Amino acid sequence: MINHHLALLKREIWEHRSIWLTPLAISSIVILGTLTALIFAGEYAQELDVALFGAQNLVGDTERKAVMAGLFFGSSGIFFLALGILTVFYSLDSLYAERKDKSILFWRSLPVTDAETVISKLATALLVIPVAAIVAIIGTHLVNLVVTGIWVSMKGGDAGLLIWGSVPLIDNWLSMIIMIFAASIWMSPFVGWFLLVSAYTKRSPLLMAFLPLVLIPMLEGIFAHSNEFAKAVWGRLAMIPIHSGVGIENLFDEDKFELNDQMVSVLAQIDIGRFLSSGSMWAGVLICALLTFGAIYIRRFRDES
Amino acid sequence: MNSLVSAQGVSKLFGSFRAVDNVSFEIDAGKIIGLIGPNGAGKTTLLKAMLGLTDCEGQLSVMGLDPFRQRKELMRNICFIADVAVLPRWIRVSQLLDYVAAVHPNFSRKRAEELLQQTKIMAKSKVKELSKGMVTQLHLSIIMSVDAKFLVLDEPTLGLDIIFRKEFYANLLNDYFDEERTILVTTHQVEEIENLLTDIMFINDGKILLSSTMESLGDTYTEVSTAGDEATRARGLGPIAENQMFGKSVMLFEGVGRELLEGLGEIRTPSVSDLFVAKVTGERK
Repeated sequence: MINHHLALLKREIWEHRSIWLTPLAISSIVILGTLTALIFAGEYAQELDVALFGAQNLVGDTERKAVMAGLFFGSSGIFFLALGILTVFYSLDSLYAERKDKSILFWRSLPVTDAETVISKLATALLVIPVAAIVAIIGTHLVNLVVTGIWVSMKGGDAGLLIWGSVPLIDNWLSMIIMIFAASIWMSPFVGWFLLVSAYTKRSPLLMAFLPLVLIPMLEGIFAHSNEFAKAVWGRLAMIPIHSGVGIENLFDEDKFELNDQMVSVLAQIDIGRFLSSGSMWAGVLICALLTFGAIYIRRFRDES
Repeated sequence: MNSLVSAQGVSKLFGSFRAVDNVSFEIDAGKIIGLIGPNGAGKTTLLKAMLGLTDCEGQLSVMGLDPFRQRKELMRNICFIADVAVLPRWIRVSQLLDYVAAVHPNFSRKRAEELLQQTKIMAKSKVKELSKGMVTQLHLSIIMSVDAKFLVLDEPTLGLDIIFRKEFYANLLNDYFDEERTILVTTHQVEEIENLLTDIMFINDGKILLSSTMESLGDTYTEVSTAGDEATRARGLGPIAENQMFGKSVMLFEGVGRELLEGLGEIRTPSVSDLFVAKVTGERK
């Protein structure tokens, strides 16, 4: 039974090679970027040597951690963006391509239900693509740490202290994993919508998916003089309700005006409880379920002759 | 009742158009049935209803299952090749075998590999790199490796050259067919398969025009080549079709005893294609 469902997911990875090619490409770019930066940094050899020496002796642990954490979480950002774009294209293509090339008749000649097929595509969008991104991010971080560590050692710095000791890796990775899955659940109504369009449309799924999302707010503005739809749909992109509410004033210790550990820890800024108790999140999950059900219904009932 | 397929008053409407119109028939196990009909006759729609790919009105049962509502169960024991090349073009042969092996409980990967070894198809090739004939060979190899009771082929050899077509049916008969299996095939090239068939069904305008075993076809239908006075007398017996050929009249009779026709000319059992043309054009008149 497990094999059966794994085969459905494998099939998606075979067909949509961009699921692993995109994270791989971005990893390569980020790693190459680091290498290039380090090579060019060699031009300012003397200043860097002094800076390294200074960092080693003067700057406090917390500051070093803050800089490294920011750098690493920042490099994850580019993966977040790519993951989003990849998910849009994947889910729009997932039920459309098989109808376009008529292979749907072959897939449906096998003992697999329409519900299993559509849910395997939903799972690919909400689970497999995020996992591919997480693996790529962790891999990129590790390669970058090794490369930068070697470089710092070559410059006479203490890589153990400056690099390995300074990156709150586990904190960084855990928060990144939580953020990715929270984003995937939060954005799931969009994935459901794309699956429905992909199952329904006869041509240009991208246009058919985004046209209503642009037209409906316009019509609502003109005729109802309100913007509820736009707020519900586009407003969703603005913020995931997971931020723990650590304000800028809490980030600094007021007396000493120094960085404290809360700023270094990304994990401290995440509030899973707030996310899980968000009505808006659950409403999104429900909408995703309804739209997915619609996609299953269409695949099952539409005659493909 | 032991029929593999049982249809009672089956209809399929597209708007007001009746693609399949109140059709009833039974298919028994161990047969090779030819479903023959002109384009747009409702063949593919009827097949799709039997395969659970489309809903229909009336009572339809395939291997005791409701095909539309129990498609997954049905697909464990039924295989089909649709009328268009449907293997996904991006997939590799080895991936295809992996996938089918994982989702199909009755698939033998070993057998599929043996069958593929007899062809030029390589495991690492992608479907889009194969010729049309090879794609059909691949599809057939997969299907013949499924221990299914019922095989449905919708124009399986469309667009293939004569050598592939002959090979296709030879493989099917030699390596697949036995008394427990049933094959339903639709094709335009009826003369190529009429020797293989045990039964035929004609369909036109959504209705079954004829459903018969090949053996009893000769009892019901007779073709007479005749000329002159005999032709006039033969015409009096009410042929369902008449054609002129080499100065002779070729007439086709339905349900007229051979003893009545003897002496009127050269008598033989009509070919399926002649009979088909006679039935369909007769219907149009």
